[in-house]
Amino acid sequence: MRVLFFAQLRQVTGVPAADLVAEGVTAGALWSLLLERWPGLADHRSVTRLARNGVYAGADDIFANQDEVALIPPVSGG
Amino acid sequence: MKIHVQIMRDQLASRGVAAGDGQCGAMLEFGGVVRAEESGRHIEGLDYEAYETMAQAEMEKILQSLAVEFPCKSVDVQHRVGRVPAGEASILVRVEAAHRTEAFGLLSAFMDRMKRDVPIWKSAP
Repeated sequence: MRVLFFAQLRQVTGVPAADLVAEGVTAGALWSLLLERWPGLADHRSVTRLARNGVYAGADDIFANQDEVALIPPVSGG
Repeated sequence: MKIHVQIMRDQLASRGVAAGDGQCGAMLEFGGVVRAEESGRHIEGLDYEAYETMAQAEMEKILQSLAVEFPCKSVDVQHRVGRVPAGEASILVRVEAAHRTEAFGLLSAFMDRMKRDVPIWKSAP
């Protein structure tokens, strides 16, 4: 899957996007993979929402390899 | 309700509210403007970034949901990304409605929801 990082999360990972192999995983399992690769994301997890294919993910969403996943830190538009 | 949302890099242009088509008793235009002060220090501007496809879809979704409670004739939203100098608008919202109550209601509720859910971020350079 393609994973996108914005704002302060891009500074944590050092990249705007990365590819990750994760098929049929829950949000919790996906977070485990993300933290394994970018431990610095741990400090932001509690305030970061996941979006799957451009829509905020629900608690029961399952993520697949073809998904575009975005990590959405607290927003500040306007 | 006619909804138009645009994310753009150019300076936003006000259309004003001096003249309409005679169908709307209320025309509002709100501009969110970058202030030259952030956390007590002087700044020249702010940098805005967006997850653009999702930001546009979220704004449209929010407006569609608000149209039930605040039935207006049209709403036009422009949000700027990139560097926005102090004194210039980062967002313009224009609402046309039969009466002011629903126009003010839509504008206020949209800005609240936008600041909570639309994936746009600002940072001081």
